[in-house]
Amino acid sequence: MKRIFVIVVWLGVALLGAGAFGKIAFDRGEPLNATWFVVAAVCCYLVAYRLYSAFVAAKVLALDDSRATPSERHDDGRDFVPTNKWVLFGHHFAAIAGPGPLVGPTLAAQFGYLPGTLWLIAGAAFAGCVQDFVILFCSIRRDGKSLGQMAREEVSERGGFIAQLAVLAIMTILLAVIGLVVVNALKSSPWATFTLAMTIPIALLLGLYLRFVRPGRVLEASVMGVAFVLFVVVAGQWVADSPWWSRVFTLSGVALAFAIIVYGFAASALPVWLLLAPRDYLSAFIKAGAIFTLAAGILFVRPQVLMPPLTRFIAGTGPVFAGKIFPFCFITIACGAISGFHSLISSGTTPKMILRESHARFIGYGAMLLESFVGVMAMVAACAMPPGIYFAINSPPSIVGGAGDAAAATISGWGYPLQAQTMTDLAHKVGELTLWNRAGGAPSLAVGMAQIFSSTIGGERLLSIWYHFAIMFEALFILTVLDAGTRVGRFMVQDLGGRVWKPFGRTGWMPGILLSSAIIVALWGYFLYQGVVDRLGGINSLWPLFGISNQLLAAVALVVATTILMKMGRLRWIWVTLLPMAWLVVITMTASYQKIFDANPRIGFLAYAHALAAQIANGKIPVEKIAETHRLIFNQRLDAAVTGVLAAMILVLIVEALAQWYSILSRRKGPVLHESPYVATRWAANFSGAAHGDD
Amino acid sequence: MRKTAKTTSRFLRRFWRGLREWCGDAAYESYLRSPGTQSGARPVLSAEEFYVEQLNRRYSHPNRCC
Repeated sequence: MKRIFVIVVWLGVALLGAGAFGKIAFDRGEPLNATWFVVAAVCCYLVAYRLYSAFVAAKVLALDDSRATPSERHDDGRDFVPTNKWVLFGHHFAAIAGPGPLVGPTLAAQFGYLPGTLWLIAGAAFAGCVQDFVILFCSIRRDGKSLGQMAREEVSERGGFIAQLAVLAIMTILLAVIGLVVVNALKSSPWATFTLAMTIPIALLLGLYLRFVRPGRVLEASVMGVAFVLFVVVAGQWVADSPWWSRVFTLSGVALAFAIIVYGFAASALPVWLLLAPRDYLSAFIKAGAIFTLAAGILFVRPQVLMPPLTRFIAGTGPVFAGKIFPFCFITIACGAISGFHSLISSGTTPKMILRESHARFIGYGAMLLESFVGVMAMVAACAMPPGIYFAINSPPSIVGGAGDAAAATISGWGYPLQAQTMTDLAHKVGELTLWNRAGGAPSLAVGMAQIFSSTIGGERLLSIWYHFAIMFEALFILTVLDAGTRVGRFMVQDLGGRVWKPFGRTGWMPGILLSSAIIVALWGYFLYQGVVDRLGGINSLWPLFGISNQLLAAVALVVATTILMKMGRLRWIWVTLLPMAWLVVITMTASYQKIFDANPRIGFLAYAHALAAQIANGKIPVEKIAETHRLIFNQRLDAAVTGVLAAMILVLIVEALAQWYSILSRRKGPVLHESPYVATRWAANFSGAAHGDD
Repeated sequence: MRKTAKTTSRFLRRFWRGLREWCGDAAYESYLRSPGTQSGARPVLSAEEFYVEQLNRRYSHPNRCC
């Protein structure tokens, strides 16, 4: 009887999800209510978790709870700490949830709400969650080894080196592009710039408190820090209202880029307890609070989605970024559906803290479902504003013809009615000087979030506070990724450099620290500067480059996962990782080819370089701009080369893997699996990790 | 009534403990309780030493994602 009841309930969930999905996909009448998105997403996630992840856990991976995990075998209270599965879920989610699932869907909204939403849900269920789950499992079975180490042992030496280089490449481009998102969010905004600048002294204060006053008392320090941050969000308004202070904090894009570069260097070279860690604590609490508030706000306000399901830009002429829906929708969404970067977390801290193998399903698969849900919420927030406003905020001036009436006429001509006065009024309401041409996703998402939040609490009166809260929330945790990433990049540079000259590899040697910090900051700083001065808006070239590198890293992870499954003799179920891998290879190769060779200068890097060279040759560039144009030409060629190198790396890895698979399948070589030997667990079946005596 | 109060209090206690573990507030306590520390094989770090050492380890590999 109970079984029938369970079947009926799950059938009901599946039917509800299918109905909501059908409504989203086929409704062409009145604007849709956002509740349909939430219902469709949640029902699909529940069904995917209940059925598909259970299938992967039982059949493909055959998780074994009788086996001791690394946290039991090496429990040292430092790296290997047995952790309750809910707590570890929180840890893992806080680590994987970055700006990607917020910014990617917001940018992909230029195709309409439908393609992005479909890929966010389906991509997560069949690719992203599977990748996180399988890599977590593989790492648990190998004492928490990293993706690079697993690639080296299970695929080939060269495979491991490629994985390491891919990580450094993705890190460089990631840091540049998220830096650009911050620049575009803070540009000409004294309020937002002041608020974010103030988070630095607040973090320093917290760092000193946690180091010298109450060591390790993170909770009380974070509560104080969050209170200070909320205060400076409000205080930013006074700065914006003061003519003198407002001038001090009104910075150009280039000035902001240099400020972020200096900050990145300082955060990497200073002791971690002083700036980086306390900022991370603040960011984690504010991130959790803002995501929860956004979800509650969407459910409470139930906004109408005003963006059409498909826009005219699916053909490739989008103003935010150029390129057809295939492959650029998938490349742009990136982290909300599948992120290669997650494989680094799944083979980093989490496998060393997991209590039982079966928890990998909840933590690996489940946390990625939640990240996808964050992406769906970002899509809803971006699509809940009138499309004309969305395009006005996200289009570069070279596409829409500057700002004001001319730009409003261009956007209206696309079929998305907009009046220049609407933008002026909106900017005034949110306390900004202008909202035109703020590509990067953050300002449009902040407008969407602020409208949802203010409809819940405060009304229009608090719209400006909510807007700057949203900007602060996005910028704060983007900078957290930026400083943590720069520091990790510094270690990678030291590791690579140490192979050539040993002293450089010593992580405590000050000249080595300064030089490696300068190298990694110079790498991403160059791309950031290039994005800021790009006439096409920067995001147009850098975000696809980031998406390609991220998805390539995911392909690397899935190549490793497929090889391991093959060695484990799970050939029957190999399609679980092989199909997403093949899909990623197809989209990344297509996108790489188009970004390098497409004849449209807005898509192809080489075509743009050629067009700029032709402009110089035809005398269309003023003399004073010729040097700058030569730099732009160099940048386009550099971007083409980087894309080509990334694509070549994955091709080499696939050839390596194919050779390995051929030897296994043809039985020329017995599969050698580098798993840790089986050790039976000594923990009782009900041990929850919290049972260190205090319950 | 008493049962509800007891369940609520247990839930809140667990939530509080989970929150402290999640944010790192309870890391030093976990360290002191771990078999690696209790075995006496290595000198036990003070709260301050442990805090700095833990942060240096945590931020030397990717722990924040895009």
